[in-house]
Amino acid sequence: MSQNRRDFLKTFAAIGTTAATLTAVSPKVAKASSRGELSVDRNGVLVDTTTCIGCGKCEWACKTAHHIEPGNIEDYSTKLTDGSQRRPSEDALTVVNQIDKSVMNSDKVKLQCMHCDHPACVSACIVGAIKKQENGAVTWDTDVCIGCRYCMIACPFQIPAFEYHKALDPKIAKCDFCYDRTQEGKLPACAEICPVGALTYGTREELVIEAKRRIEKNPEKYHDHVFGEHEVGGTSWLYLAENSLVETVFPKLGTNPAPGVSESIQHGLFAYFVPPVALYALLGGVMWLSKTKENEGGH
Amino acid sequence: MKKLIYLILLGFLISSSFAQKKISKLHSKQNLECSTCHACEIPTKTNPCLALCPREKGNVTAHKVGDAPEVFEINNIQGEKDIYGSVNFLHKAHAEMSEMGEGCTACHHYNPPGEIVKCSNCHETDRNKVDIQMPDLKSAYHRQCMDCHSKWEEESKCENCHTLNDNYKSAISPTEIVKVYKLVEHPATKVYETGECKRGKVATFHHNDHIELFGLECVDCHQDESCQSCHNQKLDFKKTVDGSNHSRCVSCHDTENKNQCAKCHTDKETKPFNHFANTGFDINKYHSKNTCNSCHTKKGSYKGLNSQCQSCHTWDEENFNHTITGLKLDENHIDNSCSDCHEDEDGNLSYKKPLCTNCHDEDEGFVVPKNLPGKKVK
Repeated sequence: MSQNRRDFLKTFAAIGTTAATLTAVSPKVAKASSRGELSVDRNGVLVDTTTCIGCGKCEWACKTAHHIEPGNIEDYSTKLTDGSQRRPSEDALTVVNQIDKSVMNSDKVKLQCMHCDHPACVSACIVGAIKKQENGAVTWDTDVCIGCRYCMIACPFQIPAFEYHKALDPKIAKCDFCYDRTQEGKLPACAEICPVGALTYGTREELVIEAKRRIEKNPEKYHDHVFGEHEVGGTSWLYLAENSLVETVFPKLGTNPAPGVSESIQHGLFAYFVPPVALYALLGGVMWLSKTKENEGGH
Repeated sequence: MKKLIYLILLGFLISSSFAQKKISKLHSKQNLECSTCHACEIPTKTNPCLALCPREKGNVTAHKVGDAPEVFEINNIQGEKDIYGSVNFLHKAHAEMSEMGEGCTACHHYNPPGEIVKCSNCHETDRNKVDIQMPDLKSAYHRQCMDCHSKWEEESKCENCHTLNDNYKSAISPTEIVKVYKLVEHPATKVYETGECKRGKVATFHHNDHIELFGLECVDCHQDESCQSCHNQKLDFKKTVDGSNHSRCVSCHDTENKNQCAKCHTDKETKPFNHFANTGFDINKYHSKNTCNSCHTKKGSYKGLNSQCQSCHTWDEENFNHTITGLKLDENHIDNSCSDCHEDEDGNLSYKKPLCTNCHDEDEGFVVPKNLPGKKVK
């Protein structure tokens, strides 16, 4: 019996050590993923859905920029008018939908990755393939990606798509905020082509101010809310619309970052290394006490 | 010498007074509120603190619609990819249409007195710019067009105004240049139900008559209207007429005069305008090619005129050529005076029915139209 207890304690101690080792690494990983320092100059796009005319040029430009066969450029405006509510997919990284087809000129909403400030996909990725870049883009490394699709489940906007049709080497696909283009000083392909300038590219900080200025200047034109300013801790893509987009386009989301729940447990467990040390101390104490008792028993 | 000095001074005065009439190019000398353009109280050259484009305060005083160029080629915007060709913008047509709506300021939203401000004077061509408040030139153009066009065009088809460049053409691409607009179909006759009116359940409006017969221009009736009230054919026209239903008619019709109500408000749909049926004066015989205004010369007034020829025509016996009436007088009658034939029983001139009995004995069979005093001509 006493032997058993000693074994048990040894195992427990071993687990404790492992946990302690993990703790030393974990906070750094977590910090780098979603709670990292956000650059003040990180960029975003302000989508003014009231300006959008639904020509679909952004969809065409996106495909062209990402080497997806775009088809006829003339066909794009018709895709909007069939009233279907499309979702971004592996061969259309962005789509524009008219929400209420019965109302002419009602809001047309462009969907793509929102490039969250605290991305759930980054937090969920078990191999650290996804990264929040300094310029605001959430990008991923296909060479590192193992195709587990955790990011698809984690995303509060259900954006990442997967090349299910490919038997060999299927990949995750989503808007990459035209990371290569923006690094060259170009605009994202969609913002570059938009004929009416419904997509304004700039620093997120300025865009929030601009969005609020527009609402203030035209209170009867806009619903008084900048979607993305606070949702899931803030997104790089911000939306202005005539009517609320919550529950018609986007799910009702809180203002806490999506990885908040999982990370708060994870971070809470290892915060400042106190809980592990405390646990270790407790275990040490238990060991010490039991050892004393054992010694006493032996005498 | 003194006279010379006076002359020079006079000349100087005259020239300076002319110069004052010309609008000064210095905007500070124009009749403008500083706050229209400047956000701060004391703007300087280094810090002009320009306010955002004051859309509401702009005014265009420079020229009339007719002076504007007929077509502008818009070719000063270019994206990364050269997908579409330039656009031929029918400026004059739009300017004329705008007279029915907001006028020039609908597009020229900022134009202080002086020369016409080009879009590109304010809107930058480079989209990748620092200022994110003002739209770039490409956006500004498209917003200006699409603000109206999207209100009745179901699809935002770029090909309505643009032609695709060769690299982007497909098998289905139209080869024809620019299909810009759908012609507005004029309604022929509109029957309005006037439920609240005591007299007359309906008011019939013959739109065709007003254009073709009465020669009215669109702007004569359509004022302060939106583009889509005519262009959006899906829109129920009845609904576009607001409570002040008479607003379109009042410039010609006296809607205040209660005796006039029955002219439009009837129990049944009325027939199109017919000069004989409505006024008793048949214009089909001699006056069918005339426009209303050639007789009813006072603009907007169509009150009854004297049906005597001489009330309009200034003929006298010397210069009148009887042939225009369709009857070429023969040599026996050509030298007669008008009153020889056209005199009624009371001895007054009347051009209705000639009296042959002054010379001819009816009993001998000289009766018009059996015996004509000449040849009928067309």
